[in-house]
Amino acid sequence: MKKPTLGAVVREESSLFVALPALVWQLLLFYLPIGFVIGMSISYVPYYTNIFNLLHFKIIGRSLMLALITSILCLACAYPVAYYLALQIKRYKNIWLFFLMLPFWTSFLVLAYAWFFVLDNYGLINMLLMKLHIIKQPLYLLNTPFAVYMVMLYCYVPFMILPIYTVLEKLDKRLLEASRDLGATKWQTWTNVTLPLSYPGIRTGFLLVFVPSFGELAIPVLMGGGRNFYVGNLISYYYLVAQDSMAGAIFTCLSGVVLLVATLFVNWWFARQRV
Amino acid sequence: MITFSFNKSSIPTHWVGFTTQWYEEMIFSVDIISALKTSLIVAGSSVVLSVFMGLCAILYGVRTFVERLLVLFYATLATPDIVIAVGLVSFFAFVSIPLGIVTLIAGHTLLGLGYVMPILQTRFAELDKRYTEASMDLGATYTQTCWHIVLPLMMPAIIAASLIVFVISLDDFLISFFVAGPHAQTLPLYIFATIRAGATPTINALSTVLLGASSLIVLIFALLQVRKKIEVV
Amino acid sequence: MRSIRLENVTKFFDGEPIIENLNLTIEGGKFFALLGPSGSGKTTLLRLIAGFEQPDSGSIYLGEQDITHLPINERRINTVFQHYALFPHLNVFDNVAYGLHIRGIAQPVVQEKVIKILRRMRLEKQIYKPIGQLSGGQQQRVALARAIINEPAVLLLDEPLAALDLKLREQMLIELIDLQYDLNTTFVYVTHDQFEALTVADYMAIMNPHGEIAQIDAPRKVYEFPRTTFVAKFIGNTNLFKGMLQIKDERSTIAIEHLGDCIVSKPDLPWARDGAHIYMSLRPEKIYLSKKVLQGFDNHIEGTVETIVYHGRSTQYNIRVHEDLKMQVFEQNEEHFEKEVVDYDDRVHLYWHKRDVVLLEK
Repeated sequence: MKKPTLGAVVREESSLFVALPALVWQLLLFYLPIGFVIGMSISYVPYYTNIFNLLHFKIIGRSLMLALITSILCLACAYPVAYYLALQIKRYKNIWLFFLMLPFWTSFLVLAYAWFFVLDNYGLINMLLMKLHIIKQPLYLLNTPFAVYMVMLYCYVPFMILPIYTVLEKLDKRLLEASRDLGATKWQTWTNVTLPLSYPGIRTGFLLVFVPSFGELAIPVLMGGGRNFYVGNLISYYYLVAQDSMAGAIFTCLSGVVLLVATLFVNWWFARQRV
Repeated sequence: MITFSFNKSSIPTHWVGFTTQWYEEMIFSVDIISALKTSLIVAGSSVVLSVFMGLCAILYGVRTFVERLLVLFYATLATPDIVIAVGLVSFFAFVSIPLGIVTLIAGHTLLGLGYVMPILQTRFAELDKRYTEASMDLGATYTQTCWHIVLPLMMPAIIAASLIVFVISLDDFLISFFVAGPHAQTLPLYIFATIRAGATPTINALSTVLLGASSLIVLIFALLQVRKKIEVV
Repeated sequence: MRSIRLENVTKFFDGEPIIENLNLTIEGGKFFALLGPSGSGKTTLLRLIAGFEQPDSGSIYLGEQDITHLPINERRINTVFQHYALFPHLNVFDNVAYGLHIRGIAQPVVQEKVIKILRRMRLEKQIYKPIGQLSGGQQQRVALARAIINEPAVLLLDEPLAALDLKLREQMLIELIDLQYDLNTTFVYVTHDQFEALTVADYMAIMNPHGEIAQIDAPRKVYEFPRTTFVAKFIGNTNLFKGMLQIKDERSTIAIEHLGDCIVSKPDLPWARDGAHIYMSLRPEKIYLSKKVLQGFDNHIEGTVETIVYHGRSTQYNIRVHEDLKMQVFEQNEEHFEKEVVDYDDRVHLYWHKRDVVLLEK
């Protein structure tokens, strides 16, 4: 027989008046504006058919590539780290976690700027390589795609590490023991047991990196020299420079739709991986 | 990779020589001071607003439709900043609100709500309702109960949420970029502009300080967590 | 000194009625116990009186005042919770002072009252300790102090001793009796433990699993004169048989399968007619067991000793009277050396008086 719910029925516990501000805020500043933008763009699409031109798609494609490559790179770097941390290290896990999450808490502008010193003509990498006599001339590293990806990677890796770590940490270690006991090698155990079980974490991390990197504005501009347009740049251009909010709205919606489709696809792909 | 994260914590010192000159310059720079002020004001206000509104909604939304709509707040975290930014800009233009500190606060509060609601809602749900019952049984009204009992018991979550919102607001770039307008400038915006124009050593100093400050905040936060665990036991 | 009255109270949960059209009057100034198995609705009843739940229909009165829709904090009723619900972030003093503090009573007065009551509860050494450092018994007393310091008209206790060990529980029961007597407040004590209920109550109500009140009476009456088979079985142990009442002239017997005809006293009740199918309840301690043949008893039957359980103060025997029938007997171990040694598989005689039998309709 179930216990009755513990619920007080005092009238003043519920006060619509007091509770409403938060909701109103959210509706007003989030749902309304976005709906507004969507609505506006839908009503103007007939007049702006040149929105669907090649240039726009090229830019969207570039951002997609950025997001995709960043995500994959992050995954490649984050997984081993998370794996090692969750399954190998016995003590001081929290300390390691703290250091790894540090980039997460720091303003990424500061981080990006820090990388300047690494990638610069007289920066860390070049100095090191020249000292070791591997190269004679400094490599031109800044303002290249390499720089962009490097910094993107660095800034977003924590987002990938955390979900994977969480999932792996909660993993029942006995499953791995069972696998070994039944004769599987370390590699087989990893492929057949650990990897499939870590998919939820991978998926979360992937999305946490993919979605924001698509709209990323600061890092490509700073590290890439600002010559290439990405989705972020273009939107800011439309709104702030060209003052063309129609175009901006439509392009945002377009990009948004593309992003949504891509995200759904990723989700679907991961769902397929579940045995 | 691990060592990398260590490495990047290394301070970008001026490569000619070691000097504190730039730190002094930083402290006296008017632009920086004003940007800092703006950032702090915006962050502080956002924290206060989002936490306060969040608490009101959670504590007083019981049994009204607000409760079921709490899910709506989770959308903020799932939406890319740029979409939110675009929405905000369009909205402000439509309602003819000039972009500035007010819009910055509005936008950051929105972001804050996205973090505040899940954190506080979880903590509130975990709270043993018998404490509130006992309090009212002893003669307290619901509001008194909230003040004397619920809030103290939720304090760790409130502090955590506040810290998170504060840091998010201070570090925010994308939303601020769109919403700040020609006159207002937060610290991240200032840094961005300066770097684009051509880095100065002052920026180095500033970056170092910011790096140190963030680390400190996170360290304090982590220590608080450890201490809390010990106390609860 | 106020009484509680529930009129036609109904409460639903998940579409199912927990209690339906319940009527109950609890006299003021007495120690009242509400006894029932888990799920009988006794906790619900308590919560309705306290105000944590609202009845779906019906009214609740405190004295002459209709408190059905009165908010919790305005009722002059206080509760001692099952797991105490002491505020973890306040120390003992602040917990106990809470009710007074809320009402805005001046600090010196509060100080005096709190110290006085803590002294009464033997908690002087713990006044400023945080709750986490107290033992179960101490926490329980703090919960009590916190409630009674507000001088409520009625004190509700929701299985307050459930978390304590046996010795402590027995001790606290006596303390509670003394407390109620001194304060003269109405105590409503909810429990599923019959021992607790029988110990503390001036009078008690038994609730059956359907959310109905089976009987309200003083403890002794409930035990010796149960009104339904549920009560007879729930309180203590009993031998319960079904049979047919036969009344011939001045002699009444009940014909029970495998037991034969037992002589009973005919109760002065409408359902006690010749040919009625009724129940007979016989408490194990009312049966005499002996290997010898004795005279002077109304009823007698023979059986074989099947089980012997030694309880220190008493011994329980399960006697097999027939292939399909067992009877339970309690014998108090009055003497240091046994009068008669009874062992497994011994053939024994069971005797009882007709006056010790209770006849029940259902």
